[in-house]
Parts: sequence; C-alpha cells; structure tokens
Amino acid sequence: MRNFFGKSVAVGAIAMLALTACGSGRDGDDKSGSGGEAAKGFAANSLIGVALPAKTSENWVLAGDLFTNGLKEAGFQSDVQYAGASTTVADQQAQITAMVTKGAKVIVIGATDAAQLATQVSAAHNAGAKVIAYDRLILNTPDLDYYVAFDNFKVGQLQGQALLDGMKKKKASGPYTVELFAGSPDDNNATVFFNGAMDVLKPEIDKGNVVVGSGQKDFKTIAIQGWKAEGAQARMDQLLTSTYGSKTIDGVLSPNDTLARAIIQSIKSRNKPVPVVTGQDSEVESIKSIMKGEQYMTINKDTRNLVKETINMVKSLQAGTEPQINDTKSYNNNTKVVPTYLLPPVAVTKDNAAEAYASDPKLAPLTK
Amino acid sequence: MSRFKDLQKNLFGGTTSNARQFGMIFTLLAIVLLFQFLTADKIGVGFGDGLTLRSDNLIALFQQNSYILILAIGMLMVIVAGHIDLSVGSVAAFVGILVAKSMADWSLPWPVAILFGLALGAAIGAWQGFWVAYIGVPAFIVTLAGMLLFRGANQFVGNADTIPVPPGFQKIGGGFLPEVGPDTGYNNLTLLLGLAACVAVVWRELQSRRTRKEMNAEPAPMWVSVIRMAIMVGVLVFVTLRFAGGRVGTSFPISGLILVVLVIAYGFYTRNTAGGRHIYAVGGNSRAAELSGVKLRRVNFFVMMNMSVLAALAGMIFVARSAASGPQDGLSWELDAIAAVFIGGAAVSGGIGTISGSIVGGLVMAVLNNGLQLLGVGTDRVQIIKGLVLLLAVALDVYNKSQGRFSIIGSITRPFRREASAEPASSSAAGSEPAKTTVAG
Amino acid sequence: MTNAPILLEMRSITKEFPGVKALSDVNLVVRAGEIHAICGENGAGKSTLMKVLSGVYPYGTYTGDIIYQGQPARYSDIRQSEHAGIVIIHQELALIPHMSITENIFLGNEPRKRGAIDWKAAQRKAVELLNQVGLKEDPDTLIKDIGVGKQQLVEIAKAFAKDVKLLILDEPTAALNEADSQHLLDLLRGFKERGITSIMISHKLNEIEAIADSITILRDGKTVETLDVGAGGVDEDRIVRGMVGRELSSRFPDHTPKIGETFFEVRDWTVRHPISAERLVCKGESFHVRRGEIVGFAGLMGAGRTELAMSIFGRSYGVYLGGQIFKDGKELQLKSVADAIHHGLAYVSEDRKAIGLNLLDDIKTSTVAAKLSKITKRGVLDEVAEYQAAEAYRRELRTKAPTVDEGVSKLSGGNQQKVVLAKWMFTDPDLLILDEPTRGIDVGAKYEIYGIIQRLADQGKGVIVISSELPELIGLCDRIYTVFEGQITGDIARKDANPETLMKQMTSTKKMQTR
Repeated sequence: MRNFFGKSVAVGAIAMLALTACGSGRDGDDKSGSGGEAAKGFAANSLIGVALPAKTSENWVLAGDLFTNGLKEAGFQSDVQYAGASTTVADQQAQITAMVTKGAKVIVIGATDAAQLATQVSAAHNAGAKVIAYDRLILNTPDLDYYVAFDNFKVGQLQGQALLDGMKKKKASGPYTVELFAGSPDDNNATVFFNGAMDVLKPEIDKGNVVVGSGQKDFKTIAIQGWKAEGAQARMDQLLTSTYGSKTIDGVLSPNDTLARAIIQSIKSRNKPVPVVTGQDSEVESIKSIMKGEQYMTINKDTRNLVKETINMVKSLQAGTEPQINDTKSYNNNTKVVPTYLLPPVAVTKDNAAEAYASDPKLAPLTK
Repeated sequence: MSRFKDLQKNLFGGTTSNARQFGMIFTLLAIVLLFQFLTADKIGVGFGDGLTLRSDNLIALFQQNSYILILAIGMLMVIVAGHIDLSVGSVAAFVGILVAKSMADWSLPWPVAILFGLALGAAIGAWQGFWVAYIGVPAFIVTLAGMLLFRGANQFVGNADTIPVPPGFQKIGGGFLPEVGPDTGYNNLTLLLGLAACVAVVWRELQSRRTRKEMNAEPAPMWVSVIRMAIMVGVLVFVTLRFAGGRVGTSFPISGLILVVLVIAYGFYTRNTAGGRHIYAVGGNSRAAELSGVKLRRVNFFVMMNMSVLAALAGMIFVARSAASGPQDGLSWELDAIAAVFIGGAAVSGGIGTISGSIVGGLVMAVLNNGLQLLGVGTDRVQIIKGLVLLLAVALDVYNKSQGRFSIIGSITRPFRREASAEPASSSAAGSEPAKTTVAG
Repeated sequence: MTNAPILLEMRSITKEFPGVKALSDVNLVVRAGEIHAICGENGAGKSTLMKVLSGVYPYGTYTGDIIYQGQPARYSDIRQSEHAGIVIIHQELALIPHMSITENIFLGNEPRKRGAIDWKAAQRKAVELLNQVGLKEDPDTLIKDIGVGKQQLVEIAKAFAKDVKLLILDEPTAALNEADSQHLLDLLRGFKERGITSIMISHKLNEIEAIADSITILRDGKTVETLDVGAGGVDEDRIVRGMVGRELSSRFPDHTPKIGETFFEVRDWTVRHPISAERLVCKGESFHVRRGEIVGFAGLMGAGRTELAMSIFGRSYGVYLGGQIFKDGKELQLKSVADAIHHGLAYVSEDRKAIGLNLLDDIKTSTVAAKLSKITKRGVLDEVAEYQAAEAYRRELRTKAPTVDEGVSKLSGGNQQKVVLAKWMFTDPDLLILDEPTRGIDVGAKYEIYGIIQRLADQGKGVIVISSELPELIGLCDRIYTVFEGQITGDIARKDANPETLMKQMTSTKKMQTR
C-alpha cells in the first residue's frame, strides 16, 4: 500500500513537472502601458465592452442601444451589458471581469456604485484594456483612464440660474422663499449638481434675497436616497406641513425631472400654486409639464451626444492617438485627476423647447 | 445510458463517501467543458483556448463567488437542521458597513476589524438563534425580520454612503498568494497547495480502502481506485497549473483559500463529529433526536449563530473585493446561497445534504453565470436560465427518486445503496414518511 | 360460502421492483359477501398486492390478470378502482386533522350543486353515513378532536360515501384498543350481512380467526394457501404455521427468570399535562423494578402509561410536579434525556416511525445515535467502530438487511424495531422501558423480540414492557402493574395474571396501596 502511495505521488509530481516544462508563458505585470500615455492602438475590429447599470431608466436603455449600433457602425465588436435589477454591484463586477477575459480593448463603464469597482478597473488595466467612466466617475482607483460626462457642475449652475430667473419673472422683487432638494447621496454626481446650483444661489441667500423656508441647506438633510420619487414627495409633504401652512413657496431646486414632478404633485395635492421648479434629463412627462406651464425648466443632456463622444474616444484609442480631452483638473477620484471630456448641458424652458428638441424624434412633437 | 450506468456502478459502487463526491464533480465538469467549447466556438479558436478555463477567468470565478459559497456552507447546515435563513444578505451588509466604518472612522487596524466583524456576526447570530431555539419562533419568520432589521440598520449606519476600506483589508477579498522562492514560471505557493491537494486525494482514497477492509467489506477493485485517483489528480494538476500560471501578480486567490479551509473544516465537522451528526438527526426527525439525548435547542442555536458568523465573513470578503462597503451589498445573496444548497441535493424538509454538494451546487450556478456572461448573454436572460436550471435540477432529482432510477444528485447526497430487499423502496419510503398530514386520494 | 359467486380473482400476479420480486405468481379468489383475510409476515407482499388491486401500481407495471365482477380490470390510478367500488383504507389514516368529519368524508368527492359545494346535502349524507358505521359524533367535529378508533370509523364512512362494493382494510385494528377493535369487528360483520365484501390485512390472528370466512396466506411474495374457515380445523396455530412455514410450538420462548434485588424505584411521581395545568397525568405514583425482572404495565389506551414512562425518561413529557427516582439506593436527578441516558435509562418509544427513528438514516447511524460518545475518539467519530458496533448488533439480533448501510426506511417493522432495540442496547442501559415493543410486527419477529427482552433481563437489567396486548404481558412479564387514568391500580404477580383479573384492575378507579 505504502509503495503504491509513493508511486501515485511520484506520478502526480512528474505530471506537474511535465506540464511546467511545457510552460504557459506567464504574462508580465506591466506589459501594457498605464494611464494617459497613448498606446500603439489596436485592431479595428476589436471587442469593446460596455457595462451599464440596471435597466431602470429610459436613459440607460437608450444609451445601450446607441452603443450597440454606434460601435457596430464604427467596425468594432461590442458587448453591451446591463446589471441585474437586484444584484447590481455584484453583476457589474462579474460583467467587467468577463469582458476582461474576453479580451476587450476598451471597457466603458456606467457605474452602479462608483466606489465598488476599483478592483475590476485595476484588473482591466492590468490586462491591457483602457477604461472609460461613462457619465459617473469611478472612485478610488489610479487605473481609470478617462472620464466622459456632461458638465455636471454646469448643470447645477444652470438649474440655480433658471430658478432665480423664473422667480424674477413671476415676482419682480424678493425676498423669494425656496426649498432645496438634492439627488441620492451614493451618486457622486448628486453632490456636483448641488454644488453647482449653490454656486449661483449662495450669494443670493447670503444677501437675503433668497430665503430657504425650512432652513434645511445641508446636503445630507436634503438628499433623496436612490433618486426615489416617493422620497421627494414625502419630504415635500413634510415641508408643506411644517413650514408652509399659510406661507407660499416661490421656488424649489430639484435635481432632476422625476423628483421635480413628485414635488409638483405634492404641492398640487395641497391646492397650493405651483412654484418655479427646476429639473434635468428631458423626460417626456416633464416636457409635457413644462409645455403646460407647471414645471419651469429641465436640462437637455443629449445621450446621443454623450455616446457619440465616447465612441469617438474609443476610435482615437484604436488609432493609437490621444483622445480629445477638455478638462484635466476638475475630476479627482481620490487617487488621481482623471482626464475628462465634458459636454455642455443646455437649459430648456417653455421658450426654447421647440428649438432645443428639434432633432429629437420623440420629444420634438411634444413641443409643438 | 446503460453503459454509463455500468461505469458509474463500477466507479462509485464500491465505496460510499468518495462515490458521492465523484458523481458531483462529473456534473460540474460537464458544464465547464460545455462552456469551454461554446466560448471557444464563439471567438473562433481551438477548444483549448476557450475562455472558461483560462487562468484569469478561473481566478475571477473563485473571487466572484467565494462569498456566496461561504454562505452556502452555513446555509447547508441551517437547511439540514430543518430551518432557513433569509437574513444572510442583510447581516453581511450590516457587518460590512460597520467593519468599513470601524477602520475609516475609529481607525481600527484591519486584522482587529476582521475580528470585530466576526464577533458582530456572532452577536447577531446569537440574537437570531435565541428566538429560533429558545422561544420557538420559526426561523423563516425570525430571519425575515432579521432581513428587514439589518438592512435597515445598514442604511441607518451607512447613510447610504459608500465607505472605502484600506488595502490591507482588501487582501481577504481581492488578494493572491504571494510570490516566493525561485522563479519557476509559476506561482510557487499555488504549486505547493496543488501538490498537497493531490497527496491528500491519494491518501484519502487509500485510507478509505483501509477502512473498508476493517469493516470486512470488499473494497472496490484496485483499478477502480487507480482510475478514480488518476482523474482527481489530473483535474487537480490542471487547475493548479491554471491558477499558478496566470498573469504575474495573480495566483490562487486568498478568498478561495479561506473558502477551501472552511469547506474542509466544516465538511469534517458535519461528517465526522458528534455535533455534526446531531444536526442531521435534528433535521431528520427532531422528536427522535430529542429522545436520543440530542440537545435540540443547542443544535438550533448553533446553526443559526454559525450562519450569521459566516454571513459576516462573506460580507467582509465582498467589501474587501469591492474595496468599499456600499448600500447595495448583500442584496438577494440569501437566494443565491439557498439555490446552491438545493441544487447541491439538500432536502427542503431537512436532514439531507452535504457541504461538498452545496459547494458544487454553488459552482454550477457560478459557472453558468460566468459562461453566459462570456457568451455575451444579458443579465435578464441569465436570470431566466438560472431560474430554470434550479427548477430542473431539483425536479429531475425528485422525479428520478420517485422512479427509483439512478439519480445524479441522489448519488451525491446519499451513500450508494443496494436496491430494496424486502418491500419495494418507493412504497415503503413513501408510506413511512413521518408525514404531518396526509391528503386523501 | 364456497358457493357464493366470485367477486374478484387475481391471477398469477407478478410485480417486480428493481432488484426484487415483490410478488411472484400470486393468486387470490374473493367471493361476494365474504370477509377475506390476508395474512403473512411483514414483507410477504400483502400491501403490494393490495396496491396492485387498487391501481396504485397501474396496469402495465405488473403482470397477471385481475377479474372483477366478471370483467378484466385494468386500473391506471386509484380513482378508477374507487369508481368500480374498490376502496382501500390504509394503516396510516388519510384524514386531515384540521377539517371536520363532513369535510373529510367528502374530500375529493364533494356533492355539488351548480358548481358550488352543497354543504347541506353533505351534512345530511354525513349523518346518515355516521349512523351506518355506528359513530355518534357531531359531523362538524374536527378530526383532531376525536380518538383513533373514531377516526377509523370516519375512514370507513368515507369509503361508504364512495359507494363501496369491496372494502380493503390494512391493519385496521393495529392502533385501536380492545373495545374499539371489538366494535370495528362487529361493524364488519354487519357489512357482510348487507352484502359488502371485505378484505382485511391483519397481524392479530385471534381477530382473523374470529371474523374471517377465508384466509389467504402469503409468504415471500408467493401464495402459500387459502384456508376455508367454514370447513373447520383452522386456528391460530394453523395460520402461524402457514405464515412462517414451520411449526411454532410456543408463542413465547421458554424462560426461567433470574430475579435479583430491587434496584430502581420511583416514588410519588406526579406530572401534569404539558398544556392543561389542572390535568394530572400521573397522580403521585410509586413502583419498583428488580434486577433481571420484566415488569409489565397494563392499561387501556390513554391510561397514562406512555406519559409516565416518558416523564421518567428525562422529563420528555408533561410538567414535573414532584416525586423521586432512585437507582441502586441513590436519588437521580434526570432533567434531560441526556441525563437519563447517562444514568442508564433507555426508552424504546411506542411509535418507531414518528419518534423512534430518523428514517433518513441507515442502520449503522441509527444504532449509535443515542450514544455517539462511545464511538468518538478525540472528538472524531470512528467509522470503523461504528460499523463494528452496528454489525455486531445486526448479527446478534438477526436483523434482516444485506448490510448495515441499508436505510432503515427500507426495513420491515420487525427489523426496524430490532434496530431501535440495538440503538438502546448500545447505550448499555440498566433499565429498558419498552413501549408497545411488538406493535405492527409479525409473529415470527415477535417471538425473536421476546427472546431479546428475556436475554436482556437475564443480563441483570430491569425491563419495563408497556403493552396493549394482554396475552403478551401475561406471557412475557414476571409482574404486571395495572394503570387507570394516571393511577397504578394493581401489582399482579405472574402466577395470578390472567386476562380477567387484569381487565378488572385496568378499569378500577381505586388506587393501589403501596406496600
């Protein structure tokens, strides 16, 4: 028995050695270049991976379709994946890893949770793939190559300015009473929107021209978890009860359309006049609301343009040239400043809606 | 089919425990090879260059699923004891956020933070175990409450923030065995580990032959043992080289190592100790167990508490791999773990199931998930397929059992048995089930 | 009877399961209006034969012919056979505890009026059916609230609701006490007069002898013979000879007791019902057991014998209110089953399947289950020791199983009982309490189990036997306590024990004066 045991071990060891001798040619650690320096490019029909969050908003579904078609037109193979509805983070992690395995040359990521993808981004980098953060900045990793997004600070500024303009139109002079809302605290963009808006509003608040009725100005207090409409509606209900029993409210800073409509809903249910409410995303229902004269404004961030710019970036990387960048200092992800291409957002009110959506087949008819 | 059956009988008929594990590994292997073929076919390369068995993919597979498999270990014991735990995802998320916060805000060193996390898991488990074992609230209810409670606590503590964790801590989820010793072109520690596994396989086979002899039973013919060992060692050598031969800096993942240690330890506990056997006794017939001197409450308390400790560990490993604790951690993990256990052959009514079966069940789901992703199938369709696989795997097993035919999962979970000698198996088993209520036909 | 027309004929029925021939070439002829008993040891194929007849095993899964009412019968499920008037009542009753008698009677067979269940008609019919079976209960009573005997009657009423022509009863009196059994047998005689044919499977040979017109005996899946009772010459011994294939000179093995000192004593034992605080199930009872002595506990169903035994065995039943237990002169505190086992007590429960065994286990796991510490070495279970222990008991008790790896669910009742006995012998007890040790076990196995009990006593252990079968107690025990409603009413020595005295004490309300 003992003899047999020894033999077996020997056979195993020999087998292992034999296979070792064949060698697998272990890849080196730093074969592929890092970060900003332009690589030599790659084959024109390479695989491009696109990992997007769960299909919970029409925006992401549209983006996915645009990527699939756009990459195909440009001659690439594409692999566009959405995260599952209940297991978003884990799904996205697995999808990115699978793309790396499949040998994707560029991976575009619309992160579900900006801070939980660092490991996968590093793995992609180590495998020689370029990583582009799409719309949401991925945090805590030095291996993120580019970031492409709308200028979200600018979005906030536009919202703030529109709020002031709208209120001035209704009532020539202040002080104006307003309430502030912000997006989900786990979305890095929410902070940026809010900071942009406050960039415009703060001076007016300091002057006393604008008054926050409830006094709630702290981001944590006014943020709505998960961008949930019911969260915004509940908060507005509370504010109306606590602060606006007899007072009227002139304006509400809302970070996006979904929340804007929820806020308007809450105010209307109390039979109060609808104040000036800002928005963002150009959602169908909100365009209708704007044309009816309820919601005051929204922001047009044309997903088509964002996807187009991203694909342009991929094309440059393929050709081995440096992609176009227009911001190299604003976006620090806690480990490095990420080279960024920012697209300008457009503020849309009832006045310029027809012009702004002229090229959008879905929205244009609504503005007639 | 009949030839396969002959082979199956010859290979597995002789011994008991080894036979089970062998049957399982076959099932898994078939799925792996299928995806290896499909992925190779898709990108138009040879079979050997398929994506499924590439080093980086195998490594990713382990890293992505180690936390679910760790949960499956605990869940198996809970389900064998006749309970269920729906709270594991929430518990994992709650522990994850507190551990992340403990390092970020109170600057606990990471090893201390891990101990803190485990202690927290034990405390939560004691809470749930108390209600289940000493008050007698059904585990389904207690853990449904726990699911809400700890999810809420996670959001309360975390404020829905994402909290990053330090690099040292990240090792338990994303780290690898370090490079030591001479440059062999492989990761040396992984090679050593593989060699140790091969030795263990051979040793166990011989040990079991010796045991059979001591039991005066005829061990399987020598050639059967040799083939069995050759296959096992072959697979191990292959896997070892894959893990050891990946990109420099990668090797067998630390989280995989933690998993392996836990599987061995818990496998031993459930099989070879009185405590483990008590769990099966309680699940099989709790009244009979009680009248045989088993301390029912203690067993129930233990399985529930143990589950939460493992959930805490799983939560920490996920946080470590994600480099941060986030508000969505742990969502629907309980379902993945439960699915793994049932695919692995456990019985809904308790008393039946093995750790290794559950691990293979979990790996089947993992490989399926991974393979479909490599083929570019979207999450929506992946979920549909996984749902169907769960249903079919269990249905096939139930059907085969009722027909008295060879059952893959049955052979996994129960020692191979000769057919009934007296009254037919199916009828007497059905008639003698300690049924609570019987429905009139 | 022999002239009555043939109602049912089963010809050369053969039924195989993978690896076993459960029935081979079995013939059965049942004449209209008779009570036909089928006898055989467990595993002889009785239940399988009935399952073939009722369509549980559909046509095509067996070979041979069934001729029923002159027509070939080919049933593919139970519904079809029931439609033809063949109704089988199983040993395990198929009633739903939380439904009323009416609901149970008409379950799956509900009278309908315009699509909805016509409860009024159901109610009327139920009262009528209950009258037929002689059960005086409100049809709205829940099944869980009536006793086993009455549940059995509900089952029969349910069969009547289906317009039964051939009633098959599988061990109908196994769970019934004497009075209920008697009632059931009378009922069967009544059915006979009304022209209903019955097939009865039973182990209770005295009942068969008393009631059956013909007896078909099966052994090892084959028909041995069919006896015509009317022709005379059929008694219990004759039946037993057919069943076991040899002469059993005595129902009990010869035994000379070797009785020693009193070593186990219970004093003033008082226990109340686990839920109802006023109900005492033991009312300050005292008894003792000597070494080498087999002590019987006789009593009617519900007299409190099981409750007494289980409460002593680590307080497994009810709430302890008072009393002491002494072993070898020292008082024991038995607060848990583990304590009881540690101090050398063993309790073999009444219901093997429900609380005696884990049916998922194999023989060896079951054998060592109550004392794992005996096979544990440094915290690890020793598989070899486990195997050897189980194998030793398998040989000693002559348990019929190919190996000790066999699952206990596949064993016959007698062999399961041997495994349970092995499990408790393995704990090295000084006092064994056996609760209905031979229930549902065939004659041959009973004889063996009596032998085992006697051997255990001869090793100097004390044995308590609780049984509802008076002949068993009288034949086996050295001394018998009678119990009535939680009180010990008599202490009867072997020489004075006969059914009449026992029955008198079992229904006496007077507490026995202790010493």
